[in-house]
Amino acid sequence: MARKQRDVMSVEWVKLELLRTAYATRGGLLSRRDPRIVLGWYLVFAVVPWLTHNITTLAVLFGLTAVAVLVSRVGPLILGLFVIGLVLESTYLLLLAWLFDGDITTVLSLVTLTLKLGTISLASMAAFVSLDPEKLSDALISLRAPALLSFGVSYGYRMLPILMTEFHTIVNGFRLRSAPLERRGILGWRAVVRLSTTLVQAFYPMMLNTAKRTRTTVEALETRGFTFAGESRLGRDLRLAYLRVGAADVVLLVVTLVLVAAAFVTGAQVPLFAQAR
Amino acid sequence: MSSTTSSAPASSSPASSNPARRVPRPQELASSQKLMVFVLSMVLFGLANILTEVLPEFRVGPVELSVSYLAFVPVVMVSLFHPLYAALGAPLGEIIFVDLLMGNFSGVGELEGYIQLALGLYIGGSLVRDPARRWQVAVAAMVAVLIDKGVGGAVDILKVVVGVEDLESVQGLPESILALEGVAFASDFLISGIIFGAIPAAYLAPRLHGKIEPLMGMAPRDPRVPLPGRARQTAGFIGLAVVLFIASGLFAFLEYVDIELGLWEPDFLEQYGMSFLWVSVAACAVVLVTVVLLARRSAHRRRLEADHAPAAPATEAARTTTTGV
Amino acid sequence: MPAVIEVRDLTFRYPGAEVDSLVGVDLTIERGDFVAVVGGNGSGKTTLCKTFNGLIPHFWSGEMLGSVHVGGTDTHESSVAALSHQVGYVYQDFGNQLVRPTVRDDVAFGPINFGLTDHAERTEQAMAQLGIEHLASTFVWQLSGGQEHLTALAGVLAMRPEVIVVDEPVAELDPVRAEETYRMLAQVNAEQGTTIVVIEHHAEFIARYARSVVLMAQGAPRWHLPVREALSRAEELAEHGIPAPQVVQAVQALAPEAPVPLTVEEAVTALAGSGVLTGSGVVTGSSAPAEPRATSSRGPAVARLEGVTHGYRDVHGHLSTVLDDLSLTLHEGERIAVVGSNGAGKSTLLRLLTGLDVPRVGEVEVEGISTRSTSAARLADHVCYLYQHPEQMFLQDSVRQDIAMFPQQRRRPGTAELVEEILDRLRLREVADRDGRTLSGGQQRRATLGIALAMTPALLLLDEPTSSLDVGTRRDVTAMLAALAERIRCVAVATHDMHLVAEWASRVVVLHGGRVLADTTPAELFDDPDLMAAVHLVPPQVSVLGRALGIHPPPLSVAELTARVTQPVAAGVR
Repeated sequence: MARKQRDVMSVEWVKLELLRTAYATRGGLLSRRDPRIVLGWYLVFAVVPWLTHNITTLAVLFGLTAVAVLVSRVGPLILGLFVIGLVLESTYLLLLAWLFDGDITTVLSLVTLTLKLGTISLASMAAFVSLDPEKLSDALISLRAPALLSFGVSYGYRMLPILMTEFHTIVNGFRLRSAPLERRGILGWRAVVRLSTTLVQAFYPMMLNTAKRTRTTVEALETRGFTFAGESRLGRDLRLAYLRVGAADVVLLVVTLVLVAAAFVTGAQVPLFAQAR
Repeated sequence: MSSTTSSAPASSSPASSNPARRVPRPQELASSQKLMVFVLSMVLFGLANILTEVLPEFRVGPVELSVSYLAFVPVVMVSLFHPLYAALGAPLGEIIFVDLLMGNFSGVGELEGYIQLALGLYIGGSLVRDPARRWQVAVAAMVAVLIDKGVGGAVDILKVVVGVEDLESVQGLPESILALEGVAFASDFLISGIIFGAIPAAYLAPRLHGKIEPLMGMAPRDPRVPLPGRARQTAGFIGLAVVLFIASGLFAFLEYVDIELGLWEPDFLEQYGMSFLWVSVAACAVVLVTVVLLARRSAHRRRLEADHAPAAPATEAARTTTTGV
Repeated sequence: MPAVIEVRDLTFRYPGAEVDSLVGVDLTIERGDFVAVVGGNGSGKTTLCKTFNGLIPHFWSGEMLGSVHVGGTDTHESSVAALSHQVGYVYQDFGNQLVRPTVRDDVAFGPINFGLTDHAERTEQAMAQLGIEHLASTFVWQLSGGQEHLTALAGVLAMRPEVIVVDEPVAELDPVRAEETYRMLAQVNAEQGTTIVVIEHHAEFIARYARSVVLMAQGAPRWHLPVREALSRAEELAEHGIPAPQVVQAVQALAPEAPVPLTVEEAVTALAGSGVLTGSGVVTGSSAPAEPRATSSRGPAVARLEGVTHGYRDVHGHLSTVLDDLSLTLHEGERIAVVGSNGAGKSTLLRLLTGLDVPRVGEVEVEGISTRSTSAARLADHVCYLYQHPEQMFLQDSVRQDIAMFPQQRRRPGTAELVEEILDRLRLREVADRDGRTLSGGQQRRATLGIALAMTPALLLLDEPTSSLDVGTRRDVTAMLAALAERIRCVAVATHDMHLVAEWASRVVVLHGGRVLADTTPAELFDDPDLMAAVHLVPPQVSVLGRALGIHPPPLSVAELTARVTQPVAAGVR
């Protein structure tokens, strides 16, 4: 089979997809809002599903967050991983319930659980995909999260592309310098073993190289006042000066709350499968 | 130029009149070095988590058979470096790189996961006296995963066992939960604890020992010099921590049963989801704080003892320790 | 001028180290000076500079004796945070110094942390000063090396320090970018009176930009002299791994009594004044170059690219074209230098030849095998690619194992003997059991060459093999490359290093805009200033000097220049 340059489903594609997600390059509805409001918006959907067992309400909430994901322009990789995870999880639970002679109630309780978890996942996707690292770390500072957490966020995102490129390079080195596999074995077990050992071995150079980088970074952090900023409030206020909650942010929250309330009202009016209990 | 302000301590032979201004203790970390260990651990485990997340080859069969994390990465970190800072950094890497970045954040559940993993790693890392010894590292890996996954799973099973007595309304589900937890625990321990935990950690840690520390300007961990701030004071301490941990889960559960017994419902899964989470997080937090406080206290006591020991001239002492390394 | 940095009787030892890194250092740096700190590996240059901003002793808590005063403040009484208002530091691996996601955010990091209310103004000014305003909202991982360096420098400038320390700017940058950094530093030095301290071993940059030179040896300054006087001590500098600039060497060989020249123009004047030059500048090209390297009769093809178009998708989903309908054949026995500015497609070309990537359009063949028909792992029997950063090639925990990895894995017979032979040949025996990362720059390059030799490829590809090496080590690597010829059918190097091109290459492929702009020899390339300017390359000084003296084609080495300037004729030139 002739090899071809592929733009999707390749390592390079995965890398770019992650970057697009991390840096919110696709734009979208939530990316223009104040980051604290976005976190609040997420929190609403993270808490509300746990307050009900009404399948109608949960379905509406699920639908709302699904729409939010669409308008937030979540990329295909993240969405794909989510859908695969959701399908696999549901299949597995259903399978188990069936094996253990479950009846419709079992299935229903599992459906509610899946809907709840799905709603939260979708909300977190929509929210965190829309926050670029600067905004997220500033929001965390403003919400008085520990300085290390907000630094970790901005630094982690900044290092991500570099680390992934380096890891890819090292894995390529292993591929080129070890013998190609003659046979893949049953179910490709040889390939799996090879992949696993390469993964482990690749961490040896990776750890050493990263240690070297970290040394410079932490030294630079010191000279650039990171520790100082942790002890004084001056920097914090300056950094957060640009964060402002505008009218559009308020509208977003109000609309969200109204929609959530509507979901509960709908649930009370049209309770699906309620009689099954 | 205001160089007059300083009475230039230049001329006279500094060796005698102006003794060493800084006396390093080889095994004691400056705050910057703690930050370094923290950041390194965070970044590496974050990367490892991205790999487990995006490599579809690792999803063998149903979800429960996947690699939940590459435990060897943080285990190597806690074995080689200061266990506390490495243990605190690693789970944060997971949260940042995977949960926040990939929009996979599950709210409060992350906090519980953070505390469990950090505690497991801290205790595991504290068990390692000499990173060159493969068995010590392997045991550390198994202990870390056991604490992180095992205790959580055991508590889950307990919940169901107690729950079943009061609840016969749903056929099959309790057993399915039991089976699910059992399979999850067994496969997690086998895959994350052994295959991607103990074995690679035991392979990597001795190879990195003595190489990675100088790159970061630190002295390698020396088996003869106990690390300050590590949890390992007595074997009993670890046992106590684990027992406390399990007990906390148990208490949290009993507490829950007490409140919720009357209104047990078929979909109990999500019923106790949130409330149980809160309680167990609180319990975990209490345990973690207790562990840290205990460790600090004993470290403090030891430092006092060390300070009371007859002191050689500071520089001399430092030089002898360093050459002794 | 008053002193800005005063070091007295400074001795320092890193925690856990066996020996002192600094021994009784006494040094005064005057305000507004442009100082080059030179010295071999391990001479304590970097350690010394880290005492200026308080990293030593506040961050690296080793043993410290003596004192360092910066702007009158005793660094020991101060803190790293306070000192960072006075001393800025740009690291050798400056990429790791950038900690925030975008350029503007990173430049503002320091001022914001210190709570300076005019941070926005400082940030904009620093970026404007270095001409990187247009990059303000670019993500730092999208920057090229040169842009990263300027960003790191801007972050330092935004703090408006009295002293800026730059650690080996040329190490990770190509010469044109390094030149730009130096121009910027000189400008800051002239306009704001900021004291500049550079750690540097490229004498050409020292000659053109520095005003004084500190030679470090065994943890202490040997001397601190004005630049002209320093460069006149060519032999002593060479002993410490800093060969004099080619113009200095040429003038000292041809007109020893003339003053030490710092630039090509000064060299021309010096030679003219001393009457070395031929009357009408007719040092003929007929006295041909020392060794005729141009291969007129080409050997059989080793690799072939046919109508290759390739590009990558960026984070916004745009497809960039890196190579555009490019055709090229590499022949046996050739030493090919692939040159061109950043982003011209050099690395992409090499990657396509390894089979790691296959082109979007066109065919790539190595030894008659199409890269589409086989995996990169199998192609590795024929091609070897050495990355720019050696540490990415060290996969095992000793140099010996790294060299043995390929033949051992592929179960080639005679592996043990081959490895031992390579270790001897590349003088790696003493370090064979150490991890590659712990070696010096030159040893690292030799170790990666060892990895390549053990793979016994037909085609060897190297990406920037001489970057981040000091001049002495660079020569060493160049000589090693020349010796490879007997083992490997064809060697291709992607490089910015025109000294390497001059001393080693037999064929130069100039890439520009994804196409082959010229396919020529080094001498012809250096004789075409328009072409050089178009692809942002700077010829070696000796070639420029040769051209200025009217020698065509220009000489490629100092020896060739002196050989060709034969008859000393009366003065009166130009």
